Amino acid sequence: METENLKFEDLIGKNSVSDEKEQINSVAIIGAGIMGQGIAQCVAAAGIEVIIIEKDGLRLENAKISLTENIEREIKRWVMTESDKKSILSRINWECKIENAKNCDIIIEAVDEDFELKKNIFKQLDKIALEDAIFVSNTSTLSLTKIAEQTSRPGKIIGMHFLNPVPKVPLVELVKCLETSNETLGIVKKFAQRIGKTAVEVYEYPGFVTTRAIVPLLNEAMYILMEGVSTAKDIDTAMKLGYNFPLGPLEMADQMGLDEVLLWMETLWSTLGEPRYRACPALRKLVREKKLGKKTGEGFHKYDSDGKIID
Amino acid sequence: MKVLVINCGSSSLKYQFMDTDDQIVLAKGLIERIGMSGAILTHKRSDGDTVRIVGEILDHTLAIQYVLGVLLSKNHGVIQDRKEIDAVGHRVAHGGETFSSSVLLTNEVMQAIEDNVELAPLHNPANIKGILAVKNILPDVPQCCVFDTAFHVKMPAKAFLYGIPYELYKRYKIRRYGFHGTSHLFVSKKAAEILGQAPEELKIITLHLGNGCSMTAVDGGKSVDTTMGFTPLEGLLMGTRTGDIDPSVVLYIMGKEGLSLSEITTLLNKHSGLAGVSGESSDMREIVEAVKNNHVRAKYAFDMFCYRAKKYIGSYAAAMGGVDAIVFTGGIGENSSDVREEICKGLEFLGIELDEEKNSKRETDLSKSGSRVKILRIPTNEELVIALDTARIVSESK
Repeated sequence: METENLKFEDLIGKNSVSDEKEQINSVAIIGAGIMGQGIAQCVAAAGIEVIIIEKDGLRLENAKISLTENIEREIKRWVMTESDKKSILSRINWECKIENAKNCDIIIEAVDEDFELKKNIFKQLDKIALEDAIFVSNTSTLSLTKIAEQTSRPGKIIGMHFLNPVPKVPLVELVKCLETSNETLGIVKKFAQRIGKTAVEVYEYPGFVTTRAIVPLLNEAMYILMEGVSTAKDIDTAMKLGYNFPLGPLEMADQMGLDEVLLWMETLWSTLGEPRYRACPALRKLVREKKLGKKTGEGFHKYDSDGKIID
Repeated sequence: MKVLVINCGSSSLKYQFMDTDDQIVLAKGLIERIGMSGAILTHKRSDGDTVRIVGEILDHTLAIQYVLGVLLSKNHGVIQDRKEIDAVGHRVAHGGETFSSSVLLTNEVMQAIEDNVELAPLHNPANIKGILAVKNILPDVPQCCVFDTAFHVKMPAKAFLYGIPYELYKRYKIRRYGFHGTSHLFVSKKAAEILGQAPEELKIITLHLGNGCSMTAVDGGKSVDTTMGFTPLEGLLMGTRTGDIDPSVVLYIMGKEGLSLSEITTLLNKHSGLAGVSGESSDMREIVEAVKNNHVRAKYAFDMFCYRAKKYIGSYAAAMGGVDAIVFTGGIGENSSDVREEICKGLEFLGIELDEEKNSKRETDLSKSGSRVKILRIPTNEELVIALDTARIVSESK
């Protein structure tokens, strides 16, 4: 059997026509945290090659382990398969240097919410990336327009606000900043669809749709608790059964992380200036006590080592 | 007539190039990993010459170009000019209620296939890609579509309706469609040929047992009932699919395990069947091996597999008011004498008598002499049906 020498070009020459020129073939993700891992999993599951870039080698190694474990947990629940695992992991490449993103069609930044850090990353990317590459930021608090100003391609910069856990939430908010072009929006919309997400378009504005609507609701549930109207368990039950919430608001806050919820209330309060965004003192108290929710084992509820609420 | 038969998956493409006059395969092959890194083309010519190429293939259009390239290639090809391809036949997964036979591709046909995407979201889009790619590269070559569902579309309403509000059938076209139609049609016709009778005179039960499994009651040459339903999940136990199940079980699992729609779909399609019951393998050969080693759960899986097929034989014999022949086909049906034996065991009262020796020797007629019902083992050949249908339709249209 002949395998080594013959190439596809030998069959039809290099002048082949492809019907999918705008196709996204490779994606780089900067930052190997929970969001970066989740986005990488979705992109790889859609059959697209992914490079995860994380400058800290240890963090990169841990991310690899954590993503593998997450998938294995899903296989044990019978909702993913060994072949899913194999094909997803085979499409993810793990790298430490940002230069590895230079040939990617889309580069998604998912690092910590630190303006200086993001600014520097976008500046660096601007120098090395393909001229047509689209830069995506997963920021939910910082001004994309300001970040875009650091680059020579403000039209090709857009936000994609994924929700945690990324593989399970079928939604993404596409955030248009001042200069985002319609072409960029169109390509990213198609990309979102391809990775199995329904996209909603939003303008750059504090909290977009999802955070803006949910966080004050969680805050309100905390006031209800603090004012002694009902117990945490009953508040959650009421909202779950009464309004078909998948989780009660206090459990949801615990899952998001109470420090995150507080940060959000403060951002909304400081940017929009309305008293209705004042963080509930009960929330502040728990955060001060480092009772941050599920991740620390206690928040409005207590959790066992499997993350289940202890009654 | 020389026909190129194409079966497009979402990231794969199988092809056979056939001369329909002599019914011979000139070359066949497979492209895997389209749109991913490390795409592989494996091409085999009828004289045994084989070539394997690894590289990058971005999309189905390129894949088809490479298929043409290899068919035309000096060292591995079988034609000198692309004009030698008279027609292209596509396997299309779902024809919905629109198509009860193979058709010549027109704009209307294309539209109808697109309209049926919702019924086969994994398969029809890939088939469409293949059709468009051929249209792009060989614009003057006539194309035909052969549907996996077509053979079953005209079964009686009592067999295809579900016991749900009728409005839901009208609103969403929820009904039994059945699959493997091309295979059931091919082996039932072949059976009639072997028995030397007209298909119209025969009541045949066909068992397509492969990775997916289905059975069809073929009465007078027509499919009157089949085990797969709205999707290929219903009916027999399969490698990784449940087959028949009380719908309440599905809802109960979703509640208990907190599964979403897509998650339960994976559980029922990928983690169930032989694999789920045995905990060992989805491959019948390995199950049979494990049974020999007294693996308890493998034995459950094997027994369930055969028992359900046996029940359907009884059920279809009743539905047709008799049975003249039973046909085994597909990977398991053609190759596993253990499975055939277990399925036929105890059906002597219906006149089904398996000859153990013929069964183990994998002959075509496996029934004891004097068995009222003939038991046949017939390798399926869906590609041939697609090629012959395509050749017939194209010559009629000229």
